[in-house]
Amino acid sequence: MNKQVKTEIGKTILVAILAILTLFPIIWVVLSSFKPQSELFQIPMSFFPRTWTLENYSESLGRGDFLLYFRNSLVVSVVSTAITVLINTMAGYALAKFVFPGRNITFTIMLATLMIPLQVIMIPIFLQLKRFGLLNTLWGIIIPPAATPTGVFLARQYMTTLPDSLIEAARMDGGGEDFIFIKVILPMSKPIVATIAIFSFMWRWNDYLWPLIVISKSRKQTIQQALAGFVGQLQINWSNLLAMTTITILPVIIVFLAFQNFFMQGVTAGAVKG
Amino acid sequence: MTKFKKGTRQFWIPYLFLLPNVLIFALFVIIPAIQGLAMSFTDHGIFTEPKFVGFANFVELFHDEVFWITFKNTLVYSFLTVIMLVAVSLLLALLLSKSTVKFEKGFRAAFYIPSLLSMITVGIAWRFILGDEMGIINYFLRSLGGNGVPWLTDGTYAMLSVIMVTVWTYAGYYMLIFISGLQAIPGELYEAAKVDGASPWYSFRKITIPLLAPTTLVVSILATINAFKAYELITTMTKGGPGYATKFIVQQVYQVAFAEDRMGYASAMSIILMLMIGAFTVFQFAANRRGSDNE
Amino acid sequence: MRKLIISLLVLCLIASPLLAQGGTEKAASEAEPVTLTVLWFNDGNESDIFMETMQDYLAEHPNIKIDLQIVAFADYQQKLKMLISGGNPPDVARMATADLTALINQALPIEDYTDTSVLEPQFMESMMAYAYNPEGKIVALPTEATANGMLVNKTAFKNAGIDVDELSKTWSWTDWEEAAKKVIAANPNLKYGLPVDFTPHRFSTIMYQFGGHFLNSDQTAMEFNNPGTIKCLKWFKDMHDQNLIPKSVWMGSENPAELFQAGIVACHIGGSWNVNTYKKNITSFEWGAVQMPAGDMRSSVPGGKLIASFKGCAHPQEAVDFMIAFADKAHSGKYDKQTLNLSSRVDSDIQYDSNASDFTVFTNELKVTPAYTANEWKNPNLSKVTGYAKEQIVQYLMGNIDVETCVRNVDAKGADFFK
Repeated sequence: MNKQVKTEIGKTILVAILAILTLFPIIWVVLSSFKPQSELFQIPMSFFPRTWTLENYSESLGRGDFLLYFRNSLVVSVVSTAITVLINTMAGYALAKFVFPGRNITFTIMLATLMIPLQVIMIPIFLQLKRFGLLNTLWGIIIPPAATPTGVFLARQYMTTLPDSLIEAARMDGGGEDFIFIKVILPMSKPIVATIAIFSFMWRWNDYLWPLIVISKSRKQTIQQALAGFVGQLQINWSNLLAMTTITILPVIIVFLAFQNFFMQGVTAGAVKG
Repeated sequence: MTKFKKGTRQFWIPYLFLLPNVLIFALFVIIPAIQGLAMSFTDHGIFTEPKFVGFANFVELFHDEVFWITFKNTLVYSFLTVIMLVAVSLLLALLLSKSTVKFEKGFRAAFYIPSLLSMITVGIAWRFILGDEMGIINYFLRSLGGNGVPWLTDGTYAMLSVIMVTVWTYAGYYMLIFISGLQAIPGELYEAAKVDGASPWYSFRKITIPLLAPTTLVVSILATINAFKAYELITTMTKGGPGYATKFIVQQVYQVAFAEDRMGYASAMSIILMLMIGAFTVFQFAANRRGSDNE
Repeated sequence: MRKLIISLLVLCLIASPLLAQGGTEKAASEAEPVTLTVLWFNDGNESDIFMETMQDYLAEHPNIKIDLQIVAFADYQQKLKMLISGGNPPDVARMATADLTALINQALPIEDYTDTSVLEPQFMESMMAYAYNPEGKIVALPTEATANGMLVNKTAFKNAGIDVDELSKTWSWTDWEEAAKKVIAANPNLKYGLPVDFTPHRFSTIMYQFGGHFLNSDQTAMEFNNPGTIKCLKWFKDMHDQNLIPKSVWMGSENPAELFQAGIVACHIGGSWNVNTYKKNITSFEWGAVQMPAGDMRSSVPGGKLIASFKGCAHPQEAVDFMIAFADKAHSGKYDKQTLNLSSRVDSDIQYDSNASDFTVFTNELKVTPAYTANEWKNPNLSKVTGYAKEQIVQYLMGNIDVETCVRNVDAKGADFFK
């Protein structure tokens, strides 16, 4: 009994130390956003602000555009996530539960394209989006990235664990394929749906390259573009950068905490079967 | 698994389910990718007409000293990062999956949060910590009377720093995947092993590791692919320095494509990168299959 | 589940008006409403001051609207190249000299839209040098000038008993070295003499002072291998080895301006743009700009920003008119004054609200800068090699190659582009 308690306490302490070390840089960024810019480069360095100030925040928020970019990022992330969840689960279902010619090749090509750095194909993508009239539209950063191979990968893994018997039964009862997908498969896939939703929201919220390629009109910019703009040629606009970074982290953390329970289950089943 | 007969209307069902995803992907990723990669056989400035040169770019790559330095760096970084990521995230998962630690859910969240940040934020945050003069760690060490550590100013240290920061960023993410894998292993197996007198280490080797193999595969493949494509984090932290110490292929591709205005040559480099990633991935699939064959 | 899907679809429908506006132009009415797309990058808040400055112009031309997009500097050139080659160039763009040089053939010659003979004499030669394309046509107008120069921690020098303002009037690099060592000895918290920004541009300042250069005299080939450059490289390495220059800048990613603000370095080879930041952030010591030490000669490197338009843009005439307005005496004067930049106009009479003496120092540096420095930097082939040159210099500083190999490698790389 004693030994078990000791190990438990030992483990807890170890984990606590690791957790604090892990969060340390983030806490530093957040605290620094409340320091006046002159304090950032003073030696001796300070961890907690010597002077607490909100000027960094008032300055960045005072620029009306910030809220606009925030809204753009939000709209893009939410809508793209909705589409991603739908089409990824559909594709994952097909790859998991059906045998058909081209099945393996499709999967392989999807994985293979994950390996191409986007920077290399920036211009062909730009031209392609232009052809389809998607330049300078939010749709242009909602639709193309929605077909995530990782999402399809996760959906596929998860759905292979779903029992075929239920599908057979539904068919024998005369259910159409769309009925089966919507009424049978999806309800049983809530965990992976939540998982893909969280990942997708995070990917779209943090997207930088896609907006860089697609958006050249100020009112359609996203928050990540605005953040990057603070890193100048000759110096960095630390005050605005730190404050906006802090604000930008929040939505992702909120989405994560809100979905956490679903999330844990989803990642479970999705990854087990190889 | 369902298999529909060819010629029936139902044959098209799986294709219809795949269609939206594949269509978008094909239009906006695959076609541009093919166009981009096809440029590797041309000599192509961004504003000049492409000139077909066959394999000349690849031949030149063979002799390109800087390219091979970045190639080696990419290999070292990816290899070490993946190993460390798998190890660390597995360790964290083992600590946080059996409810032996208080506040387990809270700790899980703490480790996961770094992966939610954008790479620019991570790079900046860590520069404040690892900077030579302006970094918190060295400042602390020096105030205690010691010397600073050349985290970002020595080649070897810089590589280690970059690996460490990558692991810090993603360990929580893969930890969650491992936790689910661990929780799927039936507890009875461990009970039975204990009854038979097996030590915890023996259980770990004979039960945990084999049953975790599929999960490990997912983690290592995703980690590999992401490691090879690392760009933003590295550039924000070290700009590829000191010297060439942390310059990886993607950075070189970017520089050659845009600063040196040689899109064809950059494209050839990307193909080599893809082949590298592909080789690693295939190797991992094979190793995993062989492992499970041995059961 | 069905409810969920339906609500998602409804969400999409509601959002689509927000999403679908692809920037359609309004139908032409009397004064032909025009929206100029302006691409911009910031170091501080230049974009705000720019918009403020041009308010009166926009008021006089109510049909003109500005769509200002700010792009991160690190991606600026790539973004422009992508837009231009994709057929969507912006109407107006703020251009750093390096980016303009890289895109000189795509910039719009403005002579088709205005009388350039009137414009030319209004600007400083060293800045106008960047604005000519290979056919000799003007494709941009200078808006801000910058000069590289030396900023010093005057308090630190005082502690060592040195009046740096006096000394700097005549000092050479040897004098500087002597003084720096005294300053370091006299100030316990001060560790280094001088960080140099990690860019080939800043390095070239010292290189030119040592009598070196990048290209041969008719700019047909790379000639990094020359006595002045080699002397400079050796000096540069020596300074690093002696720890007078902190290794963490060129061989790490430490930011020299941060080091200066923290008071750990005695001087900083940066430029006129640092004045704004230092003014805001430095409260614990006295600082200022002083004349740079002489090598074989004195020199700075001219730089700055220009404003340009591009071939194939949507509204060339309005763009050119706008450019001319921004670059005129009234507007650029106001802009330069508030962004604390030097003016590139010959007739400038800016009275800075503060730090006037510092700006005088920088302006004087530009006055002694020979024209060939600008001519080298405006060569588009040079801009393709400078990244590699910087890397080779680092290799030499680290001791991985010797100085002959370094310069020879750079020349060999240059041969790829100077065909």
